[in-house]
Amino acid sequence: MRTKRADTVAAYLFLLPFLVLLLIFFVFATGRAVYFSFTDYDLFRPPNWVGLRNYAALFADALFLSALRNSILFAVIVTAVQTFLALVMAAVLNQRVRGIGFFRAAFYMPSITSSVVITLIFLWMFQRRGLINYLTETLQRHLPVLLAFLLVLIAVQVVQVAWERRSALPATWTDPALFVVSLLVAFGATWLLVTTGVVAPRDVAPVDFIWLQTRDTIPSGAPFWLSVPIPLAAIMIQNVFTTIPTFMLMYLAALQDVPKSHYEAASIDGANATQQFLRITIPSVAPVTFLVLTLSMIGTLQMFDQVAIFGDAAPLRSVVTLAYFVYDRMFPGAQTPEVGFAAAGAMFLAVLTLVVVLLQRRLVRSEGH
Amino acid sequence: MRAAATRLGAAEQRALEHWQARRRWARAGLVYAVMLAFAIVFVGPLLFAAVSSLRTDPLEYPPSLAIPQLQPSNWAAAARLGQAGAGDRWFGGFAPGATVPFEIAYFVPDGVDVTDPDVEVPRRRPGAGLGAVLAIEYAADFASVSELQRLPDVPMTVESGDGTTSGRRVAYAFTIRYQGDGPVIDRLPLDVTAAVGMQYLDSTLTASRLERRGRTASFNDVAPGVLGYVLRNYVRVFNEVRSPATRQSLFLAWIGNSFAFAAVRIVVTLVIASMAGYALARLRFRGREAIFMLVLFSQMVPLQVLFISNYLVLRDGILTVGGFTLSSLWGFPDGMLNSLTGLVFVTALNAGAVFIMKQFFESIPREVEEAAMIDGANHWRRYWNVVLPMARPALGALTILTFQGAWNDFFWPFIVLTSPENVKTLPIGLLSFRNTYGAVGDWGLILAGAVMSAIPVIILFVVFQRYFMEGVSFGGGKE
Repeated sequence: MRTKRADTVAAYLFLLPFLVLLLIFFVFATGRAVYFSFTDYDLFRPPNWVGLRNYAALFADALFLSALRNSILFAVIVTAVQTFLALVMAAVLNQRVRGIGFFRAAFYMPSITSSVVITLIFLWMFQRRGLINYLTETLQRHLPVLLAFLLVLIAVQVVQVAWERRSALPATWTDPALFVVSLLVAFGATWLLVTTGVVAPRDVAPVDFIWLQTRDTIPSGAPFWLSVPIPLAAIMIQNVFTTIPTFMLMYLAALQDVPKSHYEAASIDGANATQQFLRITIPSVAPVTFLVLTLSMIGTLQMFDQVAIFGDAAPLRSVVTLAYFVYDRMFPGAQTPEVGFAAAGAMFLAVLTLVVVLLQRRLVRSEGH
Repeated sequence: MRAAATRLGAAEQRALEHWQARRRWARAGLVYAVMLAFAIVFVGPLLFAAVSSLRTDPLEYPPSLAIPQLQPSNWAAAARLGQAGAGDRWFGGFAPGATVPFEIAYFVPDGVDVTDPDVEVPRRRPGAGLGAVLAIEYAADFASVSELQRLPDVPMTVESGDGTTSGRRVAYAFTIRYQGDGPVIDRLPLDVTAAVGMQYLDSTLTASRLERRGRTASFNDVAPGVLGYVLRNYVRVFNEVRSPATRQSLFLAWIGNSFAFAAVRIVVTLVIASMAGYALARLRFRGREAIFMLVLFSQMVPLQVLFISNYLVLRDGILTVGGFTLSSLWGFPDGMLNSLTGLVFVTALNAGAVFIMKQFFESIPREVEEAAMIDGANHWRRYWNVVLPMARPALGALTILTFQGAWNDFFWPFIVLTSPENVKTLPIGLLSFRNTYGAVGDWGLILAGAVMSAIPVIILFVVFQRYFMEGVSFGGGKE
């Protein structure tokens, strides 16, 4: 009994600095934000209780609706794209090979660098005369060459596999050894075609796509809730780029635990690569998928840095997110701060986040049993 | 496959094994190729930005890796010219008594009259933004250009889309002399304007840009020194961006602030998290479950909910009694906004770190402590002398993750550190680069600043890769 009381006293002494911080910067802060959301506080005059007026006003506010639309589209599209790509890339790389450490480090580079550095570099690449437009133009110009290459590649592969099958060897359409040969043949053939002038890069108009200073959306003219502003799409591309490697490595770790015998058994049963991916790979990494989906949803719903760094490089309506909306109402430049309104927006974001977390918990639990 | 193999004869089976081995090799090769491609995709933008940050204008179209700053002939010329300008082959300059020799060559097609070009040392402000505000000495006030000396012509032809044009190479040599006595000047810009029809070919140092439809070859600095030439944007980051009041280099101030913030935050995090983690992992007490739930819950609440109140806490302090607040106790009667102390306070709550330390302490066997308990050691001694020394790996990992978090942190510094410029940390400083220089399309300076601010974390990552990987499994991915 004595030791228990001594333990309690000691425990609270150990916890004291943390608890003080937790009380001031979390408990008090959350409470105050909830309180402010029911008031008309403006940072200077004492707050007055206004009931649910702020919450009602949210849905009549054009900036909030843009923020809500942008946040949801951003979270859903980015999460779907990066989860899918991360899994596919991990499946492609799922081999025990030497020297993976080096590549792993390279893949991590974008995600250890600060959001400011990455966003500045992407802002630069998304300029009108920037790298992204240049690469698009180069790709368009060399489309005939690329098509020729792919055609030769597929043709050679098909011929080789058919040949091997005639000699009773169990070659699949994606046989790696034959594919290496096909690649070399396709390279050589394309080189020949280009030097002899049979296939040539075509002339294309310079790509002058405006990524940043535009109010246009993709698809252009779609209903409000389904249209992705182009500057937001630029942030999506950047976010996918920086986050894929992290998730890919999480998937890779999970895939290495899937027994090889599962795949061997499936291939004896005649399952092809796509079927193996759908029937074995996806189910066996389901727990990681839940984790990845949750982390990705939470991260993307709270996206703030990129919007703040884009600043006046893109119209506010086209990039504003819920997180930035709260900041913008709190510090609206020359206007009067609307802290109550900002707090209501923050509450909305918090509830949205909690719903995602709880939903994921529910799903994992039902999956587990 | 195994079933098929038994049906085959021994020779055929060997052939099949061969065939399988070949497939494995091919697959490994392809996997390396794909990994290499991914690595290029993911590191590419960073590397390309790093190379482009050397360019005079990183927005020059088309983007290319073949840039004058990477040509050894220009390095040699830059060193020679820097030596001539100020006796400094590294950073160059223009000092009293200097004579800088220069040559420039044109292609003149047959039938075009040769007129001597016009050489001028212009009064050009260095860049935009803060650099342009500062009063500086201009090389134009001290430089005098000698008579142009025409070198012997060389016949030559030029291939272009329309065919071959014949003509000659017309070259001039001249010197730029520092007249009288005065200060050492950082830069010696130069404009050489030729007559219509004369095409710029080359010069001692490659022209920074061609203006007026190629007639004017413009040089940012013809006495740069090697580093002043290759790393021009980097030198500008330090030299041009200065506080208007104190002339202190802002970039240096930001680096200092970022390091100071990271160092203090590491110490604060290690102390608070290890103590709290120890209590939560090892001591039995009422309220333990509740506190732990609160720790988990606090990680789910978005920053935007908390920042409203926390901003006000920094501005007004807490527990205001008759005009006296807790922040006056800390020596900040006007609040703690725009101070690193305020930033440390508001970022000191780190539930993730407490979670990591709790997990680690739970993995240490209890027997270790029991021996100390028998010796009569109290809780503090058990924590300080027994458990903490064993926690070195966890503390190391936490140090590195905290450094990375603090160095890269954007949200809180963005809220807390707004003015003056010299209180900012690096990420926020870079943002003010973007605002002043991005608007005028001067991306060289922005990219140079970005590359430099990425270096410490990259070094840390290369050295302590393992901890970063573990960080992913601890705290989840970064957005």
